[in-house]
Amino acid sequence: MEPIVELIDVIKTFDGREVLKGINFSVMPGEIIGYIGPNGAGKSTTVKILLGMLKKDSGTIRIFNQTLDEKDETYKSRIGYVPENAELYETLTAKEYLLFVGELYGMKEKEIIRKAVLMMDALGIKESFHGRLSGFSKGMRQKVLIISSLIHDPDILFWDEPLSGLDANSVQIIKELLAKLKDEGKTIFYSSHVMDTVEKLSDRILILHGGEVVADGPFNELKKEAAGTLEELFNTLTGFDEHEALADQLLKGIKGEFTHDA
Amino acid sequence: MMRNGLDKEMYESTPIYLKLIDKLAPFYTKIGVDYGQMRTILETKMIMDSRRDPVIQGMSSNEDEREDKNHFFRSLWVYALVSVFMLFLFVYDNWVFQYTTYFSYLFIMVFFTMLANFSTILLDTKDADLIGSKPVSQKTIGAAKATHISIYLISFTFAVGLVIILSTFYFNGILAGILLIILTLLASLWTLGLTIILYATVLKHFDGERLKNIIAYSQISVSIFMVAGYYLMGQIFEIIDPSTFLVEMDLSLGHALLFPMWFVAPFGLLQEGFKMVYVIYTLFLFLGTIGIGILYYINSDKIDRNLQKMNKTKMRVSERSLLENGTEKLLCLSSLEKAYYHFTWQLTKNEREFKTRLYPSIASALVFPLFIFFTTLRGGQSITSQNTLTFSYLPYFTMLSIPMIAVVTQFSVNHKGSWIFELSPGRAKGPFLRAVTKVMLVKILLPMYSFISLLILVLMGFAQSVHLLNGFLLMSVILYFEMKRSVKTLPFTRKYAASEANQGCLSGLIFFVPVFIVSISMIVLQTFIPYAEWGVLLLLISINIWWIKKGFDE
Repeated sequence: MEPIVELIDVIKTFDGREVLKGINFSVMPGEIIGYIGPNGAGKSTTVKILLGMLKKDSGTIRIFNQTLDEKDETYKSRIGYVPENAELYETLTAKEYLLFVGELYGMKEKEIIRKAVLMMDALGIKESFHGRLSGFSKGMRQKVLIISSLIHDPDILFWDEPLSGLDANSVQIIKELLAKLKDEGKTIFYSSHVMDTVEKLSDRILILHGGEVVADGPFNELKKEAAGTLEELFNTLTGFDEHEALADQLLKGIKGEFTHDA
Repeated sequence: MMRNGLDKEMYESTPIYLKLIDKLAPFYTKIGVDYGQMRTILETKMIMDSRRDPVIQGMSSNEDEREDKNHFFRSLWVYALVSVFMLFLFVYDNWVFQYTTYFSYLFIMVFFTMLANFSTILLDTKDADLIGSKPVSQKTIGAAKATHISIYLISFTFAVGLVIILSTFYFNGILAGILLIILTLLASLWTLGLTIILYATVLKHFDGERLKNIIAYSQISVSIFMVAGYYLMGQIFEIIDPSTFLVEMDLSLGHALLFPMWFVAPFGLLQEGFKMVYVIYTLFLFLGTIGIGILYYINSDKIDRNLQKMNKTKMRVSERSLLENGTEKLLCLSSLEKAYYHFTWQLTKNEREFKTRLYPSIASALVFPLFIFFTTLRGGQSITSQNTLTFSYLPYFTMLSIPMIAVVTQFSVNHKGSWIFELSPGRAKGPFLRAVTKVMLVKILLPMYSFISLLILVLMGFAQSVHLLNGFLLMSVILYFEMKRSVKTLPFTRKYAASEANQGCLSGLIFFVPVFIVSISMIVLQTFIPYAEWGVLLLLISINIWWIKKGFDE
């Protein structure tokens, strides 16, 4: 089987600073990839390059067995995206927003509405179909974003913190959905800072640190390098072990206990 | 095919602008735009413009939500009304004179509106995330933005030109009327095209903070260029016979660059027949239009392609300046007000939208006094009592930027962060508004006023210093009242929306008459009554002390 996504030596710099230092990985159809890394590691940059929202400096990207052509956007109709910062056009109603997104994917009005109502019903927000997004809670907005990423039945999903703000029941629904989408052969990039969710959901973990892939493999295999949870593995690989000392420093900050060098 | 309106219950019929744009579908397709997608984006944006964001999240009532009004279109009649003053042009039967005045006025109004109010649409980075991840080409996004702006800009242009167009049909005939409609439309498209080309070029070659500054300054320089150009127009004509306004165009290389003249030449040909001057200028117009068309085609996707640069910021160590700290100690009385003072100072330093909206207004408020100052000097006139009077009141023109200040301080791109104001211990509104007004006075108006005043002091010595000081104190009082009149919510809590773009101009009109009366009264009082300036000084100091201490308290 051919990889559905392949990155070869992808480099990206911002103002002379190398954010991606030659990223290499490939993803097979039907895989759920836990895509994690500390803040500023280059996760969002990679996803934005894959979505054609940013230009890479060098390297090759193959997606759906074709080399990515930055001028041809048609491949995006097979991708669903939930961005980390849940931005929406808030003056629109949920119905209008989903119609807007669906039509950009070339779908027909009737089809969009039928799908949207069904999915909103499943996530318990059908009553808000005609409500303006500006009046939605964080969780409701997240649900609309998730629906907008699925409405055109994409083959690859890029989900950045998709469970943010969702209640416990909705989280469970989405987790079940992910398993079913995997069975359907969909590929899912799942990016989150909630390690135990990533650990449980992913077939494979990709850890990005300082613009480089520092770990790539199924969690069971990676565990051999550093026993324990994914969180502990993450800390080991990103070289971070000062949690307690820094918590103490925060406490001092709250109390106003300054040392002379602070 | 496409649906008609996003929500059929609310939008039974297709709006007229969409019907017109539908006719251009083959043209869009020909230049590589996906028309269906562009129409969807455009339709959505127009609906969003017709809805105002509730000031406080979640506070809007359902009743308000159902009421979709585009405030921009509803206020266009004001511009039509203002343009009535140009009817005097038809007293004289000289088309070149008539349309030179018309196109100069039109270009200033349209360019100013474009740069100050619609730059935010062109440079909007939110679309990149929401639409950029969908299968939509940058050419389509660019075309949607350009069409979105042109709906407003063309409506605005025709509102400004309406009176003259109708009068042209009546006085100058059908042919001249049709020609004027075509050229007015062309003027609007030129403005949009030139702005897009300018921004695309700047975005291509620069990045980060520098880019933002370049855009802000290019707005100022274009504004200055347009206003200065307007005054230069007077030099193009040689008045042959004042009684009949018989004039002749003077074609020199420098004047040929004033492109509004190119729009006038076809009327010269129409009224006066073949003249080489008019033929050359008409040819310029023709070639210029083709040139802009080609450059637009090349650059139409460049803005969105490079827009990511807009969000990049360099790490900067932010220090409070001496002026900021000093004036805070002098003007702010409570700790809450001090906090808001520094907050406003920093926010207005960093927010691009604030600058792009306010700077053109500052530029045009400065250009007029500077122009008079330098043309008087260049003319070699000696300082007589008459021009002493003129000179000492030149700084008053900087007051013209006050209405725009009162508008821009209501908005912010970071309006969502405004929940923090609700958490402040104590009533936020009074201290916040006092702080914002003080920052605007010190940071924006004081440097402008001082600059013009300094030129006058250098030229005329210190005899006029009390008059100048009184002018500043009056400006401070007027700023207070204008802020009180127009800022109804907490500052920086509203979202920029295209439909509210002309608020600055509107409040400028409301502002102008009372301020004119007050200023003239003060000038008369100080000029004709001995020692009146000292009385005025005392009165203004008292009012200022009052508002600095207690202004905006409920």
